[in-house]
Amino acid sequence: MGSPEPLIFSLQHFCVHDGPGIRSLVFFKGCPLRCVWCQNVESWKAEAEIGFKAHLCIACGRCVERCPERAIASPGRRDANRCRLCFTCVEACPSGAMTRVGVRRTPEEIVAELRPEFPLLRDSGGGVTFTGGEPALFPEFATDVARLLRSEGIPVALETGGLFNPERLNPLTAELQLILFDIKVFDGEQHRLLCGSENMVIKENLRSLVQATRLGQGPPVWPRLPLVPGMTDGPANIRSWAGLLRDVGTPFVTVVPYHHMGTVKRAWLGLPAGPDLRVPGDGEMAAAAGLFASEGIRAYHPGEEDFPAEATTGRASASG
Amino acid sequence: MATPLQTAPDRTTAPGFIAATPRIAGIRAELLATPYSICLERPRLLAAFRRSPEGRRAARTEHPLVRRALALSHVFSHRRPRIYDNELIIGNMTSKRIAANYYIEGGSINILEDLFRLNRRAVPLKMGRTEIAELLTTGVGNLFRSVGARALLRPGRFSYFLDFFRAKRHFVTEEAGIGHQVGNYRMVVHQGLRSVYDEAAKRLEEGRLGDGSALDADQRAFFRSVMITIEGIRQMAENLAIEAEGLAGRPDLPEWRMVELLESAAACRHVPYQPARTYLEGLQAVWLVHVALNLEDFEQGLSFGRMDQILLDLYRADIASGRLSVERAMEVTAGFCLKTCETMPLYSERVDQFFSGNGVAQAFTLGGTDGRGSDVTNELSGVILNAYAQVLTREPAVHVRVHRATPDWFFEKSVELLQMGTSRPSFFGDEAVVRALEHAGMSTEHARDYAVIGCVEMASQGRTYNSSDAALFNLPLCLELALNQGRRFRGRARIEGSRRCGADTPPASAMTSFDDVLEAFRAQVRHGVDDMVKVITWLEEVYRWHRTTPVNSILTEGCLQKGRDVTWGGGLYDYTSVQAAGLADAGDSLHALKRVVFDEKRLSLEELVGILKDNYRGHEDLRVELAAKLGRYGNGDQEADRMTQLAADAFADAVRAHRNTRGGQYVPGFYSMTCHVGFGKVTGALPDGRLAGKRLSNGLAPVDGADKLGPTAVLRSAASLESRKWMNCHALNMKFDRKTVQGPTGRRALVHLFRNYFSQGGMQVQVNVLDAETLRAAKRDPASHPGIVVRVAGYCAYFNDLQPDVQDEIIDRTAHGLS
Ligand code: SF4
Ligand code: SF4
Repeated sequence: MGSPEPLIFSLQHFCVHDGPGIRSLVFFKGCPLRCVWCQNVESWKAEAEIGFKAHLCIACGRCVERCPERAIASPGRRDANRCRLCFTCVEACPSGAMTRVGVRRTPEEIVAELRPEFPLLRDSGGGVTFTGGEPALFPEFATDVARLLRSEGIPVALETGGLFNPERLNPLTAELQLILFDIKVFDGEQHRLLCGSENMVIKENLRSLVQATRLGQGPPVWPRLPLVPGMTDGPANIRSWAGLLRDVGTPFVTVVPYHHMGTVKRAWLGLPAGPDLRVPGDGEMAAAAGLFASEGIRAYHPGEEDFPAEATTGRASASG
Repeated sequence: MATPLQTAPDRTTAPGFIAATPRIAGIRAELLATPYSICLERPRLLAAFRRSPEGRRAARTEHPLVRRALALSHVFSHRRPRIYDNELIIGNMTSKRIAANYYIEGGSINILEDLFRLNRRAVPLKMGRTEIAELLTTGVGNLFRSVGARALLRPGRFSYFLDFFRAKRHFVTEEAGIGHQVGNYRMVVHQGLRSVYDEAAKRLEEGRLGDGSALDADQRAFFRSVMITIEGIRQMAENLAIEAEGLAGRPDLPEWRMVELLESAAACRHVPYQPARTYLEGLQAVWLVHVALNLEDFEQGLSFGRMDQILLDLYRADIASGRLSVERAMEVTAGFCLKTCETMPLYSERVDQFFSGNGVAQAFTLGGTDGRGSDVTNELSGVILNAYAQVLTREPAVHVRVHRATPDWFFEKSVELLQMGTSRPSFFGDEAVVRALEHAGMSTEHARDYAVIGCVEMASQGRTYNSSDAALFNLPLCLELALNQGRRFRGRARIEGSRRCGADTPPASAMTSFDDVLEAFRAQVRHGVDDMVKVITWLEEVYRWHRTTPVNSILTEGCLQKGRDVTWGGGLYDYTSVQAAGLADAGDSLHALKRVVFDEKRLSLEELVGILKDNYRGHEDLRVELAAKLGRYGNGDQEADRMTQLAADAFADAVRAHRNTRGGQYVPGFYSMTCHVGFGKVTGALPDGRLAGKRLSNGLAPVDGADKLGPTAVLRSAASLESRKWMNCHALNMKFDRKTVQGPTGRRALVHLFRNYFSQGGMQVQVNVLDAETLRAAKRDPASHPGIVVRVAGYCAYFNDLQPDVQDEIIDRTAHGLS
């Protein structure tokens, strides 16, 4: 899985919770996981998609008229089997209700678009974070972008779900200042149910990335756990992860509270509604942090971590 | 309007600040529980003076300058002193705990529109029956004494008078009063008013100005007016001292309070006539002069300036001698802040749609540089910030000057105050501001001594007669007029029919290039500005004879040297500042029009104008396309930003082409109070997809929802505009979700964001950190739907597209303690 040339579905600036300092995020499209609580569902498919934002539609009918395949019966009702993804409808739509999710961009284009942010990223000790989706599905492309960024003095972080082929990741890790490593459900069977795959590889990848850090062959690794009530917040889950983190040698974790601000995106893409999940309260956040602490793991809120110095200042260039 | 006394919900002081003492908390609670009212003591005293033998003699024999000084002096010396429980700084602003002064000379009359529902307004004004009757007679009885009536109830000017009630192109606020000043408080504190009094006496005795030229009758009258006024202020202070002594003698009073009252009495016997000897006396001196200034002209924008510079020596000496602790200094300063809550502006609900939430803006300016450009932020800057953090009230305003060497501790402390949700302080970029002031003719040294007047206006403190905020101008309407030969698309038939209210520019059919349109737009702007200037000119004439301002003149360098009142051109620097609303709408509209009509030739100009006249009826697709799919100001889009610059220049150049009757330059600014709402109601559909009647863009901000790329792009667009000509500054308002910018991380992020903005040449930015309550209110009123910056870990938010759907989630998240 994973074509060498990924689609990018958004660049977002002034982000303060995804690595040190102020960061710009590059969202890669395509993810091998299918976590039921996902709030970036537009990242799942590696292919371009069309979203329909009903609240913007003015029912002008241009999309219906212009579609060469007659794939749109009425506004918002697009027959995915007929659609050839020519995006004529998106072009024609005056309101932005029809939107294209995922655009091909060269590394140079991405960097050019990020460049106005560079002074702020540098001054704040921030940088660029690759996220998605799963950027590690596209290690060659990500490496190219990271190299360009580093050549201009911009530190790069990777946020990963951990399910990737470790052999292909190597050149990329050499360019990174930090890896934010998402951990979710410890139990393999549960993980398969809730996230759509086994998690052996994820745990192995975590271990070997930390190993590489220790050997000076990779950037610091920082685990993050999304706290989803009823799914990842059980004491057993937290204790098991704490055990692994201790064992691996990363006695710290960011606990990211679940939110449902992305739920509406499912409707845009015509996906069935996800499960009805609750946002954790302050008490639940504190309880999770306390549990980690009792297991010897320091827990942080997003944006409040004390990242190792290498993550902000950048390591000595490994790739020259 | 919702002008709660507190701008933020009750919250304990943030961890980084020292908390309020029980005294401050108590006074604050008392003020919060006090209803607003209107004070009629000033008109009463003025009437008494007019009827007195002295007043009648003055009317017959005295020069208007002297007559006015005698009247004001009568007010100062005869008003009843009131000292409230536990105050450390004394001196009542009005006869009531919280009230608006009624100014018969202008402005206040509009409140009569609400006469029969004063107690039922959104912001109720508590008045008894007899008081309401008195208000009515005061208003009606003095109708023809107002500046507006004197200037405009004349043949040939009547329609301009009506414009006050049907503001479309502009709103001439100077009719209400001039106010808006940062006086020479350095002189007040360090030399005392005595220095001015003695100087005036000397001039009169010698019969000559400082430069040796002989005094004319007007100049003689001026110097007399100065002396009479200072005598009145002295008497006002003396009366307070007597009152304080009287209270101190009450047997039930604890000893400590007796000591305080006697200290206050001693202070009021000494300042503001003599130089202040302590920090407390310094603040007391400033306060008394501020009260006098409020009683003189009107209350808007009377500001304190750079108190962290002016009071620093006294503060340090007191701390060194052990007379004062840091905590006590904060308590006294917080008490001073609470005194500013005793006043409020008087707007009828109709006028309020133009100025709501604006308050009075009695402003402190903190930080910045000295005349050589070195940083002068100091410990007192921090003390004053902390003092405000202890009260978080609707007054005073707090402004922070930022430059390269602004220390991080102070910047972070300022942002920490912001995080408490008060939208204070706002930040000013020294580099851009000083450049604009120099461009307007100030010496570099004087420009670097700038302080903010009220909300955003500028003065070299104690040297400038800015007559700022003289009028507000509806910029997008000029495009409407340009597209329709000087007529509104849909004037209200009964009043204006198809009457031309703008310049006679060519019909759409005759405009064959974008430059033609631009030229017509510029012509309309010039025409509107000319009209506005005409009204201000008439007002200025009336001011000179009926509403001179001796207190203001005492506080403005240049007046004593020239022997002239500020209204006669006495100020060292003299300006009239006016500001435009709807800049982004004007810029985006020029951009959209150029694209679809002239670049892409998708429709003719006449067709577009037809569609606009019809308010896009039947062309909703075109409308949303213009709004959603073209590049717009606020996204770092160079072409859209360039069009916004063209719109800004059209206004700036039209304004700068004028001089006022005092010889001062007209200077432009871009902020709108809430005029963008009022003006929006009378403005037709615009080419940027805005429907007729909708509110216009606010200050320098992008059109609501037009910024798609987040705060960095908005700031980039704003900073990219050439602001050298904007001596009257601008307001750039940004809104952040509280959770996005909370804690030390959020604080540092905002500091970096603003430093970055100012390093690009940014001039001003103010921030609302929105809490759940504000968000809920915004949701109830979809029209005020704010473009809020929300950031959540790992989450891709499509900004404005997402907001209608996720507002509840944002509110939930903000209400709970989640990050
Ligand atoms: S992408 Fe092309 S084929 Fe698919 S619905 Fe749109 S216009 Fe039709
Ligand atoms: S073109 Fe866009 S706005 Fe028009 S009907 Fe289709 S989706 Fe709706």
